Amino acid sequence: MTPFELAEPKTLKEAVGLLDADDPTVRPIAGGTALMLMMKAGVFRPSKLVSLRAIKELTSIEIVKGELTVGATTPLAVLEHSEAVRMHAPVITRALRTLSNIRVRNVATVGGALAHADPHMDLPPVLIALGARVVVQGRSGARTIPVADLFAGYFETVLAKDELIASLIVPAQDGRRAAYLKCTTRAVHDWPALGVAVSVAADGKAIKNASIVISAATETPMRMSAAEKAASGATDDAALRRAGDAAAAEAELISDGQGSAAYKKELVRVYVARALRAALGAA
Amino acid sequence: MRTIHFTLNDEAVSAQAAEHHSIVDVLRDRFDLFGARESCAQGLCGCCTVLVDGTAVSGCLYLAAFVDGKTVTTIEGLAQNGKLTPIQEAFLETGATQCGFCTPGFVLMAGQLLAAHPDPDDEEIRHYLSGNLCRCAAYPEIIAAVKLAAGKLRAGRL
Repeated sequence: MTPFELAEPKTLKEAVGLLDADDPTVRPIAGGTALMLMMKAGVFRPSKLVSLRAIKELTSIEIVKGELTVGATTPLAVLEHSEAVRMHAPVITRALRTLSNIRVRNVATVGGALAHADPHMDLPPVLIALGARVVVQGRSGARTIPVADLFAGYFETVLAKDELIASLIVPAQDGRRAAYLKCTTRAVHDWPALGVAVSVAADGKAIKNASIVISAATETPMRMSAAEKAASGATDDAALRRAGDAAAAEAELISDGQGSAAYKKELVRVYVARALRAALGAA
Repeated sequence: MRTIHFTLNDEAVSAQAAEHHSIVDVLRDRFDLFGARESCAQGLCGCCTVLVDGTAVSGCLYLAAFVDGKTVTTIEGLAQNGKLTPIQEAFLETGATQCGFCTPGFVLMAGQLLAAHPDPDDEEIRHYLSGNLCRCAAYPEIIAAVKLAAGKLRAGRL
Protein backbone atom coordinates (compact mmCIF):
# COMPACT_ATOMS: atom_id res chain seq x y z
CA MET A 1 0.00 0.00 0.00
CA THR A 2 1.13 3.55 -0.64
CA PRO A 3 1.34 6.10 2.22
CA PHE A 4 -1.66 8.28 3.05
CA GLU A 5 -2.88 10.68 5.69
CA LEU A 6 -5.36 9.41 8.29
CA ALA A 7 -7.89 11.75 9.93
CA GLU A 8 -9.92 10.61 12.93
CA PRO A 9 -12.85 12.95 13.53
CA LYS A 10 -15.09 12.54 16.59
CA THR A 11 -18.38 13.70 15.06
CA LEU A 12 -20.30 13.10 11.85
CA LYS A 13 -20.28 16.82 11.06
CA GLU A 14 -16.50 17.00 11.46
CA ALA A 15 -16.10 13.92 9.25
CA VAL A 16 -18.21 15.40 6.44
CA GLY A 17 -16.12 18.59 6.68
CA LEU A 18 -12.92 16.60 6.13
CA LEU A 19 -14.20 15.06 2.88
CA ASP A 20 -13.70 16.79 -0.45
CA ALA A 21 -16.40 16.89 -3.12
CA ASP A 22 -13.81 17.25 -5.88
CA ASP A 23 -11.09 14.87 -4.72
CA PRO A 24 -11.70 11.13 -5.23
CA THR A 25 -8.44 10.30 -3.40
CA VAL A 26 -10.06 11.38 -0.11
CA ARG A 27 -12.41 8.72 1.19
CA PRO A 28 -14.07 7.64 4.42
CA ILE A 29 -12.97 4.38 6.05
CA ALA A 30 -14.89 2.49 8.73
CA GLY A 31 -14.18 -1.24 9.05
CA GLY A 32 -11.87 -0.96 6.08
CA THR A 33 -12.02 -4.63 5.05
CA ALA A 34 -13.07 -3.84 1.47
CA LEU A 35 -11.01 -0.68 1.13
CA MET A 36 -7.86 -2.47 2.35
CA LEU A 37 -8.24 -4.98 -0.49
CA MET A 38 -8.48 -2.17 -3.05
CA MET A 39 -5.48 -0.38 -1.57
CA LYS A 40 -3.41 -3.57 -1.46
CA ALA A 41 -4.28 -4.30 -5.08
CA GLY A 42 -3.22 -0.75 -5.98
CA VAL A 43 -6.58 0.07 -7.57
CA PHE A 44 -7.15 2.76 -4.93
CA ARG A 45 -4.32 5.03 -3.79
CA PRO A 46 -5.75 7.48 -1.27
CA SER A 47 -4.19 10.79 -0.31
CA LYS A 48 -6.29 10.90 2.84
CA LEU A 49 -8.62 8.52 4.64
CA VAL A 50 -11.22 9.86 7.06
CA SER A 51 -11.79 7.23 9.74
CA LEU A 52 -15.36 7.00 11.05
CA ARG A 53 -14.34 4.74 13.94
CA ALA A 54 -14.25 7.40 16.64
CA ILE A 55 -17.76 8.68 15.85
CA LYS A 56 -19.94 7.33 18.65
CA GLU A 57 -23.25 8.64 17.26
CA LEU A 58 -23.18 6.12 14.37
CA THR A 59 -23.26 2.86 16.33
CA SER A 60 -26.75 1.99 17.48
CA ILE A 61 -29.54 -0.44 16.70
CA GLU A 62 -33.00 0.81 17.66
CA ILE A 63 -36.63 0.38 16.77
CA VAL A 64 -38.05 3.84 16.12
CA LYS A 65 -41.79 4.08 15.35
CA GLY A 66 -41.84 0.46 14.24
CA GLU A 67 -38.83 0.87 11.95
CA LEU A 68 -35.41 -0.69 12.49
CA THR A 69 -32.74 2.03 12.58
CA VAL A 70 -29.08 1.01 12.41
CA GLY A 71 -26.11 3.37 12.75
CA ALA A 72 -23.79 3.21 9.74
CA THR A 73 -20.67 2.07 11.60
CA THR A 74 -22.41 -0.81 13.36
CA PRO A 75 -20.27 -3.90 12.67
CA LEU A 76 -22.02 -6.66 10.71
CA ALA A 77 -21.42 -9.12 13.58
CA VAL A 78 -23.40 -6.85 15.93
CA LEU A 79 -26.25 -6.79 13.40
CA GLU A 80 -26.01 -10.59 13.03
CA HIS A 81 -26.42 -11.16 16.77
CA SER A 82 -29.00 -8.43 17.43
CA GLU A 83 -32.31 -9.73 18.76
CA ALA A 84 -34.03 -6.56 17.50
CA VAL A 85 -32.82 -7.31 13.96
CA ARG A 86 -33.87 -10.95 14.15
CA MET A 87 -37.36 -10.00 15.34
CA HIS A 88 -37.75 -7.24 12.74
CA ALA A 89 -36.33 -8.92 9.62
CA PRO A 90 -34.94 -12.43 10.22
CA VAL A 91 -33.77 -12.61 6.60
CA ILE A 92 -31.00 -10.13 7.54
CA THR A 93 -29.82 -12.40 10.35
CA ARG A 94 -29.83 -15.43 8.03
CA ALA A 95 -28.03 -13.59 5.22
CA LEU A 96 -25.29 -12.38 7.57
CA ARG A 97 -24.48 -15.92 8.65
CA THR A 98 -22.94 -16.65 5.26
CA LEU A 99 -21.59 -13.16 4.51
CA SER A 100 -17.82 -13.52 4.17
CA ASN A 101 -16.40 -14.92 7.43
CA ILE A 102 -16.60 -14.17 11.14
CA ARG A 103 -13.46 -11.99 11.26
CA VAL A 104 -14.67 -9.83 8.41
CA ARG A 105 -18.15 -9.53 9.99
CA ASN A 106 -16.50 -8.45 13.26
CA VAL A 107 -14.95 -5.47 11.49
CA ALA A 108 -16.94 -4.61 8.34
CA THR A 109 -19.81 -2.15 8.84
CA VAL A 110 -23.37 -1.73 7.60
CA GLY A 111 -22.58 1.61 5.96
CA GLY A 112 -19.52 0.19 4.25
CA ALA A 113 -21.50 -2.76 2.89
CA LEU A 114 -23.69 -0.19 1.11
CA ALA A 115 -21.22 2.57 0.21
CA HIS A 116 -18.70 0.18 -1.34
CA ALA A 117 -21.26 -0.70 -4.05
CA ASP A 118 -19.64 -3.95 -5.05
CA PRO A 119 -22.57 -5.72 -6.76
CA HIS A 120 -21.44 -9.05 -5.28
CA MET A 121 -22.21 -7.97 -1.72
CA ASP A 122 -25.03 -9.73 0.13
CA LEU A 123 -26.78 -6.96 2.06
CA PRO A 124 -27.77 -4.58 -0.77
CA PRO A 125 -30.24 -6.95 -2.51
CA VAL A 126 -31.72 -8.01 0.84
CA LEU A 127 -32.21 -4.41 1.95
CA ILE A 128 -33.75 -3.43 -1.40
CA ALA A 129 -36.22 -6.33 -1.14
CA LEU A 130 -37.15 -5.13 2.37
CA GLY A 131 -37.78 -1.58 1.13
CA ALA A 132 -34.96 -0.10 3.24
CA ARG A 133 -33.56 3.41 2.93
CA VAL A 134 -30.43 5.25 4.08
CA VAL A 135 -30.04 8.64 5.70
CA VAL A 136 -27.15 10.46 4.09
CA GLN A 137 -25.34 13.40 5.69
CA GLY A 138 -23.79 16.14 3.59
CA ARG A 139 -22.43 19.61 4.27
CA SER A 140 -25.79 21.28 3.86
CA GLY A 141 -27.90 18.71 5.68
CA ALA A 142 -29.31 15.22 5.48
CA ARG A 143 -31.30 13.47 2.76
CA THR A 144 -32.95 10.07 2.55
CA ILE A 145 -32.34 7.67 -0.33
CA PRO A 146 -34.06 4.32 -0.91
CA VAL A 147 -31.38 1.61 -1.07
CA ALA A 148 -32.97 0.69 -4.43
CA ASP A 149 -31.80 4.10 -5.77
CA LEU A 150 -28.36 4.14 -4.11
CA PHE A 151 -26.33 2.32 -6.75
CA ALA A 152 -25.28 4.17 -9.89
CA GLY A 153 -23.08 1.48 -11.42
CA TYR A 154 -20.31 -1.03 -10.82
CA PHE A 155 -18.71 0.10 -7.50
CA GLU A 156 -20.53 3.44 -7.83
CA THR A 157 -23.21 5.09 -5.71
CA VAL A 158 -25.21 8.27 -6.19
CA LEU A 159 -23.48 9.76 -3.11
CA ALA A 160 -21.40 12.89 -3.55
CA LYS A 161 -17.75 12.59 -2.48
CA ASP A 162 -18.52 14.70 0.58
CA GLU A 163 -21.58 12.77 1.71
CA LEU A 164 -21.68 9.96 4.26
CA ILE A 165 -24.23 7.27 5.00
CA ALA A 166 -25.28 7.97 8.61
CA SER A 167 -27.92 5.32 9.16
CA LEU A 168 -30.00 2.58 7.62
CA ILE A 169 -33.75 2.32 8.14
CA VAL A 170 -35.67 -0.91 7.52
CA PRO A 171 -39.45 -0.33 7.58
CA ALA A 172 -41.90 -2.59 9.41
CA GLN A 173 -42.40 -5.77 7.41
CA ASP A 174 -46.04 -6.31 8.45
CA GLY A 175 -45.91 -10.08 8.17
CA ARG A 176 -44.10 -10.13 4.83
CA ARG A 177 -41.80 -13.09 4.38
CA ALA A 178 -38.35 -12.89 2.86
CA ALA A 179 -35.50 -15.06 1.71
CA TYR A 180 -31.99 -14.57 0.36
CA LEU A 181 -30.19 -17.24 -1.63
CA LYS A 182 -26.80 -17.02 -3.26
CA CYS A 183 -24.77 -19.25 -5.48
CA THR A 184 -21.03 -19.40 -4.97
CA THR A 185 -19.32 -21.37 -7.70
CA ARG A 186 -15.87 -22.07 -6.21
CA ALA A 187 -15.80 -22.00 -2.38
CA VAL A 188 -18.48 -21.24 0.20
CA HIS A 189 -17.01 -17.84 1.13
CA ASP A 190 -16.33 -16.79 -2.44
CA TRP A 191 -18.09 -13.83 -3.98
CA PRO A 192 -21.37 -15.14 -5.39
CA ALA A 193 -22.12 -15.62 -9.09
CA LEU A 194 -25.69 -14.69 -8.19
CA GLY A 195 -27.63 -13.37 -5.22
CA VAL A 196 -31.43 -13.41 -5.10
CA ALA A 197 -33.43 -11.60 -2.41
CA VAL A 198 -37.21 -11.82 -2.36
CA SER A 199 -39.88 -10.47 -0.07
CA VAL A 200 -43.50 -11.47 -0.46
CA ALA A 201 -46.84 -10.91 1.17
CA ALA A 202 -48.56 -14.26 1.25
CA ASP A 203 -52.35 -14.25 1.24
CA GLY A 204 -53.10 -17.80 2.31
CA LYS A 205 -50.88 -19.61 -0.15
CA ALA A 206 -50.86 -17.07 -2.99
CA ILE A 207 -47.99 -14.58 -3.43
CA LYS A 208 -48.92 -10.91 -3.38
CA ASN A 209 -46.71 -7.85 -3.93
CA ALA A 210 -43.49 -9.75 -4.51
CA SER A 211 -40.25 -7.83 -4.41
CA ILE A 212 -37.55 -9.72 -6.33
CA VAL A 213 -33.98 -8.42 -6.47
CA ILE A 214 -30.95 -10.01 -8.08
CA SER A 215 -27.31 -9.09 -7.46
CA ALA A 216 -23.80 -10.22 -8.38
CA ALA A 217 -24.94 -11.29 -11.86
CA THR A 218 -25.78 -7.69 -12.78
CA GLU A 219 -23.83 -4.42 -12.69
CA THR A 220 -25.85 -3.23 -9.68
CA PRO A 221 -28.51 -5.00 -7.61
CA MET A 222 -31.70 -4.85 -9.71
CA ARG A 223 -35.40 -5.34 -9.11
CA MET A 224 -36.96 -7.76 -11.57
CA SER A 225 -40.31 -6.17 -12.34
CA ALA A 226 -41.47 -8.69 -14.96
CA ALA A 227 -40.71 -11.51 -12.53
CA GLU A 228 -42.57 -9.67 -9.77
CA LYS A 229 -45.62 -9.41 -12.04
CA ALA A 230 -45.33 -13.09 -12.99
CA ALA A 231 -45.11 -14.10 -9.34
CA SER A 232 -48.28 -12.24 -8.41
CA GLY A 233 -50.95 -14.70 -7.36
CA ALA A 234 -48.58 -17.64 -7.71
CA THR A 235 -49.54 -20.66 -5.64
CA ASP A 236 -47.74 -23.62 -7.19
CA ASP A 237 -44.28 -24.58 -8.41
CA ALA A 238 -45.19 -24.05 -12.05
CA ALA A 239 -46.07 -20.42 -11.34
CA LEU A 240 -42.86 -19.89 -9.35
CA ARG A 241 -40.90 -21.30 -12.28
CA ARG A 242 -42.66 -18.85 -14.62
CA ALA A 243 -41.40 -16.03 -12.40
CA GLY A 244 -37.88 -17.50 -12.70
CA ASP A 245 -38.25 -17.59 -16.49
CA ALA A 246 -39.39 -13.96 -16.51
CA ALA A 247 -36.37 -12.89 -14.44
CA ALA A 248 -33.99 -14.81 -16.72
CA ALA A 249 -35.53 -13.02 -19.72
CA GLU A 250 -35.38 -9.50 -18.28
CA ALA A 251 -32.05 -9.47 -16.37
CA GLU A 252 -29.10 -7.71 -18.01
CA LEU A 253 -26.36 -10.10 -16.96
CA ILE A 254 -22.60 -9.60 -16.87
CA SER A 255 -19.84 -12.17 -17.21
CA ASP A 256 -17.11 -12.16 -14.59
CA GLY A 257 -14.74 -14.50 -12.76
CA GLN A 258 -17.69 -16.15 -11.04
CA GLY A 259 -19.43 -17.20 -14.21
CA SER A 260 -20.45 -16.28 -17.75
CA ALA A 261 -23.64 -14.33 -18.46
CA ALA A 262 -25.11 -17.42 -20.18
CA TYR A 263 -24.46 -19.53 -17.08
CA LYS A 264 -25.86 -16.86 -14.77
CA LYS A 265 -29.02 -16.70 -16.86
CA GLU A 266 -29.72 -20.34 -15.99
CA LEU A 267 -28.85 -19.64 -12.35
CA VAL A 268 -31.35 -16.75 -12.29
CA ARG A 269 -34.07 -19.00 -13.72
CA VAL A 270 -33.57 -21.63 -11.02
CA TYR A 271 -32.70 -19.43 -8.04
CA VAL A 272 -35.57 -16.93 -8.40
CA ALA A 273 -38.10 -19.78 -8.25
CA ARG A 274 -36.18 -21.37 -5.40
CA ALA A 275 -36.00 -18.09 -3.43
CA LEU A 276 -39.75 -17.51 -3.83
CA ARG A 277 -40.39 -21.02 -2.55
CA ALA A 278 -38.04 -20.39 0.39
CA ALA A 279 -39.79 -17.10 1.20
CA LEU A 280 -43.20 -18.80 1.26
CA GLY A 281 -41.86 -21.21 3.86
CA ALA A 282 -39.92 -18.57 5.80
CA ALA A 283 -40.66 -16.24 8.68
CA MET B 1 4.23 8.12 10.96
CA ARG B 2 2.52 8.15 14.31
CA THR B 3 3.07 6.60 17.71
CA ILE B 4 0.46 4.06 18.71
CA HIS B 5 -0.02 2.91 22.29
CA PHE B 6 -1.73 -0.37 23.02
CA THR B 7 -1.70 -3.43 25.25
CA LEU B 8 0.05 -6.32 23.54
CA ASN B 9 -0.25 -9.74 25.19
CA ASP B 10 -0.86 -8.18 28.63
CA GLU B 11 1.96 -5.65 28.31
CA ALA B 12 1.60 -1.90 27.68
CA VAL B 13 3.58 -1.06 24.55
CA SER B 14 4.03 1.74 22.04
CA ALA B 15 5.38 1.69 18.51
CA GLN B 16 6.02 3.91 15.54
CA ALA B 17 3.71 2.95 12.72
CA ALA B 18 3.00 4.44 9.32
CA GLU B 19 -0.67 5.12 8.59
CA HIS B 20 -0.68 2.55 5.80
CA HIS B 21 0.84 -0.27 7.86
CA SER B 22 -1.35 -3.15 9.00
CA ILE B 23 -1.23 -4.59 12.50
CA VAL B 24 0.53 -7.68 11.07
CA ASP B 25 3.28 -5.43 9.65
CA VAL B 26 3.78 -3.82 13.06
CA LEU B 27 3.74 -7.11 15.01
CA ARG B 28 6.44 -8.53 12.73
CA ASP B 29 8.60 -5.45 12.20
CA ARG B 30 8.45 -3.80 15.64
CA PHE B 31 7.82 -6.70 18.02
CA ASP B 32 9.35 -9.74 16.30
CA LEU B 33 6.05 -11.59 16.65
CA PHE B 34 5.69 -13.93 13.69
CA GLY B 35 2.71 -16.08 14.76
CA ALA B 36 0.24 -13.93 12.80
CA ARG B 37 1.24 -14.40 9.17
CA GLU B 38 -0.06 -12.70 6.09
CA SER B 39 -0.89 -15.53 3.72
CA CYS B 40 -3.82 -14.88 1.35
CA ALA B 41 -3.68 -11.13 2.16
CA GLN B 42 -7.46 -10.94 1.57
CA GLY B 43 -8.97 -11.88 4.93
CA LEU B 44 -10.01 -15.30 3.62
CA CYS B 45 -7.51 -17.73 5.13
CA GLY B 46 -7.29 -16.74 8.79
CA CYS B 47 -3.50 -17.12 9.10
CA CYS B 48 -3.18 -13.48 10.23
CA THR B 49 -5.85 -13.75 12.96
CA VAL B 50 -5.28 -11.59 16.05
CA LEU B 51 -7.71 -10.54 18.77
CA VAL B 52 -8.46 -6.82 19.14
CA ASP B 53 -10.24 -6.10 22.42
CA GLY B 54 -10.97 -9.83 22.57
CA THR B 55 -12.58 -10.04 19.10
CA ALA B 56 -10.97 -11.92 16.20
CA VAL B 57 -9.96 -9.83 13.19
CA SER B 58 -7.92 -10.47 10.07
CA GLY B 59 -4.69 -8.62 10.87
CA CYS B 60 -3.84 -8.20 7.20
CA LEU B 61 -6.98 -6.06 6.71
CA TYR B 62 -6.62 -4.07 9.92
CA LEU B 63 -4.66 -0.82 10.02
CA ALA B 64 -2.16 -0.62 12.88
CA ALA B 65 -3.41 2.90 13.64
CA PHE B 66 -6.76 1.39 14.62
CA VAL B 67 -5.34 -0.56 17.58
CA ASP B 68 -4.27 2.66 19.33
CA GLY B 69 -5.70 2.47 22.87
CA LYS B 70 -6.86 -1.11 22.40
CA THR B 71 -5.80 -4.56 23.56
CA VAL B 72 -4.15 -6.93 21.09
CA THR B 73 -3.70 -10.65 21.72
CA THR B 74 -1.62 -12.86 19.45
CA ILE B 75 -0.89 -16.58 19.57
CA GLU B 76 2.30 -15.75 21.50
CA GLY B 77 0.19 -14.30 24.32
CA LEU B 78 -1.88 -17.40 25.09
CA ALA B 79 0.54 -19.60 27.09
CA GLN B 80 1.04 -18.46 30.68
CA ASN B 81 4.44 -19.08 32.34
CA GLY B 82 5.34 -21.55 29.61
CA LYS B 83 2.15 -23.56 30.07
CA LEU B 84 0.06 -24.03 26.92
CA THR B 85 -3.69 -23.45 27.00
CA PRO B 86 -6.04 -26.47 26.81
CA ILE B 87 -6.79 -25.56 23.18
CA GLN B 88 -3.10 -25.53 22.25
CA GLU B 89 -2.59 -28.85 24.08
CA ALA B 90 -5.55 -30.37 22.23
CA PHE B 91 -4.12 -29.34 18.83
CA LEU B 92 -0.84 -31.05 19.71
CA GLU B 93 -2.49 -34.18 21.12
CA THR B 94 -4.67 -34.73 18.05
CA GLY B 95 -1.95 -33.97 15.50
CA ALA B 96 -4.00 -31.06 14.18
CA THR B 97 -0.99 -28.91 13.40
CA GLN B 98 0.75 -30.63 10.45
CA CYS B 99 2.97 -27.89 8.93
CA GLY B 100 1.74 -25.40 11.52
CA PHE B 101 1.41 -22.38 9.27
CA CYS B 102 -2.35 -21.94 9.80
CA THR B 103 -2.37 -23.21 13.40
CA PRO B 104 -2.21 -19.85 15.24
CA GLY B 105 -5.33 -18.68 13.40
CA PHE B 106 -7.20 -21.90 14.06
CA VAL B 107 -6.25 -21.86 17.76
CA LEU B 108 -7.40 -18.26 18.19
CA MET B 109 -10.66 -18.84 16.30
CA ALA B 110 -11.29 -22.05 18.27
CA GLY B 111 -10.93 -19.96 21.43
CA GLN B 112 -13.61 -17.56 20.17
CA LEU B 113 -15.89 -20.46 19.23
CA LEU B 114 -15.56 -22.20 22.59
CA ALA B 115 -16.13 -18.97 24.50
CA ALA B 116 -19.48 -18.58 22.71
CA HIS B 117 -20.38 -22.29 22.38
CA PRO B 118 -18.71 -24.44 25.09
CA ASP B 119 -20.03 -27.70 23.57
CA PRO B 120 -20.16 -27.24 19.78
CA ASP B 121 -21.24 -29.98 17.39
CA ASP B 122 -19.42 -30.70 14.12
CA GLU B 123 -21.67 -28.36 12.16
CA GLU B 124 -21.02 -25.43 14.50
CA ILE B 125 -17.28 -26.07 14.39
CA ARG B 126 -17.30 -26.24 10.58
CA HIS B 127 -19.38 -23.08 10.31
CA TYR B 128 -17.22 -21.16 12.76
CA LEU B 129 -13.90 -22.23 11.27
CA SER B 130 -14.99 -22.02 7.62
CA GLY B 131 -13.04 -18.76 7.31
CA ASN B 132 -9.77 -20.53 8.16
CA LEU B 133 -7.91 -22.52 5.53
CA CYS B 134 -5.45 -25.37 6.15
CA ARG B 135 -3.49 -26.28 3.03
CA CYS B 136 -2.39 -29.55 4.63
CA ALA B 137 -6.12 -30.28 4.90
CA ALA B 138 -5.88 -31.37 8.54
CA TYR B 139 -9.56 -30.51 8.95
CA PRO B 140 -10.66 -33.83 10.56
CA GLU B 141 -7.90 -33.51 13.17
CA ILE B 142 -8.74 -29.84 13.73
CA ILE B 143 -12.38 -30.68 14.41
CA ALA B 144 -11.23 -33.44 16.77
CA ALA B 145 -8.89 -30.94 18.48
CA VAL B 146 -11.69 -28.45 19.04
CA LYS B 147 -13.89 -31.15 20.57
CA LEU B 148 -11.06 -32.36 22.78
CA ALA B 149 -10.36 -28.77 23.84
CA ALA B 150 -14.05 -28.22 24.57
CA GLY B 151 -13.99 -31.21 26.91
CA LYS B 152 -10.81 -30.00 28.63
CA LEU B 153 -12.24 -26.51 29.12
CA ARG B 154 -15.56 -27.81 30.45
CA ALA B 155 -13.72 -30.15 32.84
CA GLY B 156 -11.57 -27.23 33.99
CA ARG B 157 -14.68 -25.23 34.84
CA LEU B 158 -16.19 -27.95 37.05
